Amino acid sequence: MAYRTHVLICGGTGCVSSGSFELRGVFTAELQKQGLAKEVQVIITGCQGFCAEGPIMIVQPDGVFYCGVQKKDIPNLVTEHLLKGRPVKKLMYTPPVEKVPIPALKDIPFFAKQRLVVLRNRGLIDPERIDDYIAVGGYTALVKALTEMTPEDIISEIKRSGLRGRGGGGFPAGIKWETCRRAAQKRGVAPVVVCNADEGDPGAFMDRSIIECDPHSVVEGMIIGASAIGCSEGFVYIRHEYPIARERLLKALEQARDYGLLGNDILGTGLNFDIEIVQGAGAFVCGESTALMASLEGKIGEPRAKYIHTVEYGYKNQPTNLNNVETWANVPLIVNRGAGWFSSMGTGDVAENPWGGSSGTKVFSLVGKVNNTGLIEVPMGISLREIIFDIGGGIPGGREFKAVQTGGPSGGCLPSSLLDMPVDFDSLTEAGSMMGSGGMIVMDDHTCMVDVARYFINFLTEESCGKCIPCREGLRHSLRILNNISDGNGRPEDVDLLQEMGEVMQDSCLCALGTSAPNPVLSTLRYFKGEYEAHIKDHRCPGGVCKALVEYSIDQQLCDGCHACVPACSTQAITGKVKEKHTLDKTKCIKCGACIEVCKREAVLRV
Amino acid sequence: MKVVKLKVDGVETEAEDRTSLLTVTKKLGIKVPTLCYHPIIEPAGVCRICTVEVRMRNRVRLVTACNYPVSEGIEVLTNSERVRRTRRLIIEWLLSRCGNVKVLNDLAAEYGITEPRFGRGDEDCILCGLCVRVCSDVVGRHVLGFFNRGTTREVNTPYGETSEECIACGACAYVCPTGCITIQDEEKLVRQELPMGPITPISIPFMQAVPAVPVIDKASCVYFKTGGCQVCKSVCEKQAIEHTADDKLVEFEVGSIIAATGFQSMDPTRLSQYGYGRLGNVFTALEFEKLNNASGPTGGRILMADGRAPESVALLHCVGSRDKNYHEYCSRVCCMMALKYAHLIHEKTGAAVYDFFIDLRCFGKGYEEFYNRLLEEGVFFIRGRAGEVSDFAIYEEERGKLIVRCEDTLIGVVRRIPVDMVVLMTALEPANDANNVARLLNISCSKDSFFLEQHPKLAPVATPTDGVFIAGACQGPKDIPDAVAQASAAASAAISLSVRGRVEIEPVTCVVDGERCAACRICNTLCPFTAISFDIEKDASVINDALCKGCGTCAAACPSSAITARHFNDRQLLNEIAGVCA
Amino acid sequence: MPKLTIEDLKRISEQAKATMTLRSGTARAKVTVHMGTCGISAGAREVMAALLKEIETGGVTDVLVGTSGCAGLCSREPMATVEIRGQPPVKYVDLSPEKMGQVFRKHVMGGTILMEYALAAGSETTG
Repeated sequence: MAYRTHVLICGGTGCVSSGSFELRGVFTAELQKQGLAKEVQVIITGCQGFCAEGPIMIVQPDGVFYCGVQKKDIPNLVTEHLLKGRPVKKLMYTPPVEKVPIPALKDIPFFAKQRLVVLRNRGLIDPERIDDYIAVGGYTALVKALTEMTPEDIISEIKRSGLRGRGGGGFPAGIKWETCRRAAQKRGVAPVVVCNADEGDPGAFMDRSIIECDPHSVVEGMIIGASAIGCSEGFVYIRHEYPIARERLLKALEQARDYGLLGNDILGTGLNFDIEIVQGAGAFVCGESTALMASLEGKIGEPRAKYIHTVEYGYKNQPTNLNNVETWANVPLIVNRGAGWFSSMGTGDVAENPWGGSSGTKVFSLVGKVNNTGLIEVPMGISLREIIFDIGGGIPGGREFKAVQTGGPSGGCLPSSLLDMPVDFDSLTEAGSMMGSGGMIVMDDHTCMVDVARYFINFLTEESCGKCIPCREGLRHSLRILNNISDGNGRPEDVDLLQEMGEVMQDSCLCALGTSAPNPVLSTLRYFKGEYEAHIKDHRCPGGVCKALVEYSIDQQLCDGCHACVPACSTQAITGKVKEKHTLDKTKCIKCGACIEVCKREAVLRV
Repeated sequence: MKVVKLKVDGVETEAEDRTSLLTVTKKLGIKVPTLCYHPIIEPAGVCRICTVEVRMRNRVRLVTACNYPVSEGIEVLTNSERVRRTRRLIIEWLLSRCGNVKVLNDLAAEYGITEPRFGRGDEDCILCGLCVRVCSDVVGRHVLGFFNRGTTREVNTPYGETSEECIACGACAYVCPTGCITIQDEEKLVRQELPMGPITPISIPFMQAVPAVPVIDKASCVYFKTGGCQVCKSVCEKQAIEHTADDKLVEFEVGSIIAATGFQSMDPTRLSQYGYGRLGNVFTALEFEKLNNASGPTGGRILMADGRAPESVALLHCVGSRDKNYHEYCSRVCCMMALKYAHLIHEKTGAAVYDFFIDLRCFGKGYEEFYNRLLEEGVFFIRGRAGEVSDFAIYEEERGKLIVRCEDTLIGVVRRIPVDMVVLMTALEPANDANNVARLLNISCSKDSFFLEQHPKLAPVATPTDGVFIAGACQGPKDIPDAVAQASAAASAAISLSVRGRVEIEPVTCVVDGERCAACRICNTLCPFTAISFDIEKDASVINDALCKGCGTCAAACPSSAITARHFNDRQLLNEIAGVCA
Repeated sequence: MPKLTIEDLKRISEQAKATMTLRSGTARAKVTVHMGTCGISAGAREVMAALLKEIETGGVTDVLVGTSGCAGLCSREPMATVEIRGQPPVKYVDLSPEKMGQVFRKHVMGGTILMEYALAAGSETTG
């Protein structure tokens, strides 16, 4: 059936919070009333990127752009425009008169490919004002959950949305909630909800940013979770290194308590729930669920070896539902807009089975050798290429892409051949890396993969709690061997030994930190074995990073005798007169790289 | 409890749901190596050496047998190549830290590792954490803990200092698989205060105890201190240990009673000149006996408080005995006891022994010969009661020693003898609560408070109360042979009563005339044999013929003349007097 | 403060919207300084101070100043968003106190977008 006119109403989060859904109802009713229902179709669209003037409405094929439409405007609008064909000038957007055209945000690739769900309020609201959050539709999901839904409804909605844990494991949140609720009912023990904000991966700051720009979304998510699971006690375990995030969260909790959104009898519905903030003491391993709970209880933050899930026996042996910051922040939107909306983003079919795919969006911190570094939120299933080259704007200095490291220190390095791989839980795991909490480090051809593995193994060696032997000793020996290789003392059998140790660690370590710890080694061995062999057999570092294996020289063709490198060299290894070819004395060179940084003609060679 | 079926190395078996896999393999006789596992401690799954392969619903993974709960239908491989590879690498990793530890080298041999690829380190501790867990989870003391993280992890006490929380129970050393924990300065720690009671919380009180069963010392048992431990309960196969058991009062009906309350060693604190309790290394005879005992706190070694063996020892006789200020009697056994000590000290430590005596009473078989032997061994006998023990040094050689001052009456000189240790041969006294027993059993006591026998020659074990006998040191100081002889006599006397099955009583007893008794009950308290009781129904006192000795005290005291002494009534007595006078 | 009811929540929402969105309020413009950890470490506090000083010295009363979290493009912090009533918001990047002063004088007061420092106009795409 063909329609003569389509009315596109923006369904972006911004416009929804300005009332675009209500608008659709009024609009459809008005069309019915005026007998236009068969001629005009009302469609809800994705975000138009003009949220400040929402709700936004476009009438096609006329191409008329309305903004700031209110319910009371609709009868007039329908009569004037759709019936009589006269666009309503008063509601039309008038572009400001500008001398120079300025690009629209949505035309800039960094922003265009992003889709903000968790970060919907970033840059828009004042995180320290609860009223701001309420103004953009905050706590309406909580109202809906408490007044229109039973706990089972909420859990089923989360399950059907396919929301999987954003902390790294990718365990379906709905199933976890359900297990927790059942365990609590079966044992008659009060359950607890915990928010994991112990983000310790180097180069990752998703959780920090979410709390800093929208703390109430996490609080609201937790209250909804608590009502679904039946908790009255909640904790946020936040690392000590995040003072601003902690302060904002504290303020958010205080404001929510003042408004009666936390405490006893929330919104007069009889729900009792409060949240306490617990600070970590800086151990990376405390991001692991059992170690986190040990730390919560005031014990040493070490994982426990029990084949019982924390969701059944967690904090003080109570059933404990642990989700990370990003997972909690997704919850209010899923409740508000439904599982179908959420699962329409992402890959796979999650309607029947949350394991069936990866729905929704994922926040990544995009760092490393990429032009635009920052915090991005993209729909699941987007390709690595889009993230790195469109959003990230490619590699600086026109260098070549070499690898991208995902999933934090225990993630893996993926080569350029996998750039078109969709980014979701299962594809990343299959490729030998992991989603992790969402760190993404881009590396160019000046990166040495042995050095990268060495860096992460060094980090993990320092952060290993040392409780179980494979992690403690395996990391120690892996690091020693990697150090040998990068010092040029690698032995041919080292590659196999690293591989064997990695596989045994995956098999036998006590906690997830240990079983994933060999990933940096195993993934670089899988995709960049040639580099290891170049180090061991040819005593050459292809990335030019390992000091023991590179030598500096000056390209006599390129050198123009600018003399900049001579004062930069702290050991007087470079000599030469101005405007004459310079030479480098390899016996004096300490390979610090200062000359490379100052040479404008790239005449200093490092091979 | 639900029973589940599972397969271990191809063998089908059954086990209780959620029991640990290790208990199942143990039952099947399959050897799975363990390092951080101990049956009395909850498993922690730290060493990962007990890794086995488990297939559950088509998912294969490696788990640790010590804490993996079995469930229906799992298939377990305890020795697959994947398992062996993991164990081999764990052993190699451990050897790189602790290359000389025996358990690891045994395991290495078993897994065919001759040259570990990471070399051999020289540490002892494999960081299994058994000691930490036994201390906190079982003993409940939290003395040991882990310090640092990762590769620098170590086991230590808080701040690496000697912890006051440590009760020197030795549990950590007991569970340590590598033997890297030793209890240092054991003697020093124990000897700060010489324990007179049992030295372990569970022990058989003494070798000859009847019944010969262990008892728990509530004062030192960890369970009664912290509520933890109870390890004894888990290892006792007969399940005989019950911590909640309480002391009970048991009543027996018996025909005769032998009182053998023994003696107690006099507390010499009162004799302040000897410095007991004030000076270190001044012991009573009984304390020295404990120190010298092979099952005592030092394992029978004679040591001073600082753990050194003494170079010279003084034995002071007659401490509290033969002394009008304390006990006038001779304690009889101390002389021979001192000679025994002199011999043992000389033999065990080679120390110089000084024996201060008034006169040596070596009566009896072989005793004098023993004295002569000691003279030959070179014990210094000094005749004279020691006047004072002090630590006030006058001469250089007295520094840091105890000085015994005494008049040597054989040469008529006051001497100062510096020694390392002083043993006071304290007097034997009646047990301080023996008078309660005396009152209860109606036994008379002599003026020194020892029980008085009915007759020193004719009835040495009997008492004025029929069926009550005495034996041993409660009757007076005596040595073991004498005590045994007297005890045998008392036992015979008691047995002769029960063998006959009946008791012959004298016809000379008293009788109450119920009609005339005014129920004043004066006689009840007067009767020295507790033979008179009051019968409420008859409203009159009655006399038990079996207990009554016919002494007539009651008859004389009865204000209403209701009691008559049979065969000694007024008429009979008057007639007898008349007969004598006629 | 007394506990909220569900109706109160709606009322607060309406009231807060008025101050936030310029549409129904009295303010003419709104400047938001992005103050996440990245922004603060790049100098957002100084930028904020400069902005407040400009407002104080100029005696300006019809401009709202707000703070917010990270805007996502951490490599270009400090950032600020200038929104004039009836126009799409404009994001400025790589700011310094001096640049902020210029932006305030030229754009907020003068109405001319400062192209050298501006990144783009408009809002981000939300779910």
